[in-house]
Amino acid sequence: MSSRAREEEDEELIMFLERDQLAADRRRPLPPAEIGWRAHTALWSLRIFVLIVGAMVIYTFCAQL
Amino acid sequence: MERPAPSDTIPSGALPGELAELTREDVARSLDRSRVQRARGRRSRWYLLWLLVGPGILAMLGENDGPSMISYTATGAIDGIGFFLPFIVVTFLMAIVCQEMCMRIGAVTHRGFGQLVRERYGSSWAWLAAGDLLFTNLVTLIGEFVAIRVGLAYFHLGAGVAALLGVILVVFALSGGRYWRWERIVLGLATFNGLFLVCAILVRPSLAHLGHAFVTFSPLPRGSFNELLLLLASTIGATVTPWMVFFQQSASADKGLTPRDLRQGRLDTIVGGVFAAFFGCGALVAGAALFGHGGTSVNGFAGAGFPLALGHRAGGTVGTLFALGMVEAGAVAILTISASTGYAVGECLGGGTSFNLSPRDAAPFYSINVLVAAVAAAVILLPGVPLLSIALNANVLATVLLPFTLVFVLMLANDRQLMGRWVNGLRTNVLALGIVLVVSVCGAAYGIDSFLLQIHVLGGGA
Repeated sequence: MSSRAREEEDEELIMFLERDQLAADRRRPLPPAEIGWRAHTALWSLRIFVLIVGAMVIYTFCAQL
Repeated sequence: MERPAPSDTIPSGALPGELAELTREDVARSLDRSRVQRARGRRSRWYLLWLLVGPGILAMLGENDGPSMISYTATGAIDGIGFFLPFIVVTFLMAIVCQEMCMRIGAVTHRGFGQLVRERYGSSWAWLAAGDLLFTNLVTLIGEFVAIRVGLAYFHLGAGVAALLGVILVVFALSGGRYWRWERIVLGLATFNGLFLVCAILVRPSLAHLGHAFVTFSPLPRGSFNELLLLLASTIGATVTPWMVFFQQSASADKGLTPRDLRQGRLDTIVGGVFAAFFGCGALVAGAALFGHGGTSVNGFAGAGFPLALGHRAGGTVGTLFALGMVEAGAVAILTISASTGYAVGECLGGGTSFNLSPRDAAPFYSINVLVAAVAAAVILLPGVPLLSIALNANVLATVLLPFTLVFVLMLANDRQLMGRWVNGLRTNVLALGIVLVVSVCGAAYGIDSFLLQIHVLGGGA
């Protein structure tokens, strides 16, 4: 296949993809979101809560073996 | 001249003013997209749907996994159909709401859940979510191998065969280097989840009882408050889990869904949810055949357990079909859960995560995929490990850790900068917040109540 033919084939293929579907574009990092201190605090509170309850479930599971 | 090796990159020159590179991943995805566009051009609605379904059905039927089916059957055997038949349907409605958001985020952003959390909220949050996933997935995968073992034990095959079969299946499905191939193999296997519905029909349930249960949500299960909480938490954990979130978003992006495909993506999710609810209810109804016939004692089963008990109660055909269903439930979940682990870890590491890449170009993705399955397979070969307890507790653990993942799904789905006009509407937000609340309360209530009973702060502890 000539390089011209290959270029044409690539152009045809790339037509089927949206620009941000290309692997190169998907790997380009997005800008970080701005989250305030309230959201941060809420996320950390949820995280700690989930970990504590998770630890309770694991403890109960191990104790009942 | 032959086309360059797939891992090579090709300057396409298709995007003016920018060096766009067409990789193996792009070529594979664009071939899949070309079929979608042709189907759309020809207005072949059914063919278009056939091309675009996959991630939703696989997430839903993947969650009708070994531990879930054991949990549904045990519930039916111990408490009958009563409250849980309509409750399973409600939990799948919850799953549809959550999974639709994941599909939409994947189709709009073309990025997986782990990648988006890492890029938008930082690596720490992404790794915490992926860490939860890795832990629960490993526990759940052990449960999947237990399910295969239970199914194969009915045919007098041992744990070694179950372990080997699971790992070979993962390697075989991965070997094609194409998302489309992997998806169609797993979809083909997942159709056998319908065996649970066949079992339910063969045990000839009373239609009057089924109708009464759906209308009244009764009779309520007997037993202590803690047992009720355990049943609620494990039933929720059998329908909405962290791995489904990671899987459907990443698979939707990997498949190449775009905002134009949202309608079919929603149908895919709804159809998957409806099938999964039918088949899950099938396992419950089949299990209910043992209700009042020694079903409670089967809960502590070893070896062939439920298939054998059903075989004695309802005939050898039901036992055989149920055993095959257990093998299918475990096998499909091993494939989808391993994939979700590979996507999650790969996305947090920042490497390539696609079935359309070669193992060389996406080494962490492929190696994690096989490694988690191999570790879980090794565990079931260890003597003295409480496999059934692990299988049944896997769902509870998933319920406890789920709110953290769901909050990030909600944040991403409401990120206007990211989602543009496909951002969550008010109705979806109200429903999703309600689901987060219900899941949090059920998981936390069971965890705290069990712990207090265990340390004898509450009466009636172990």
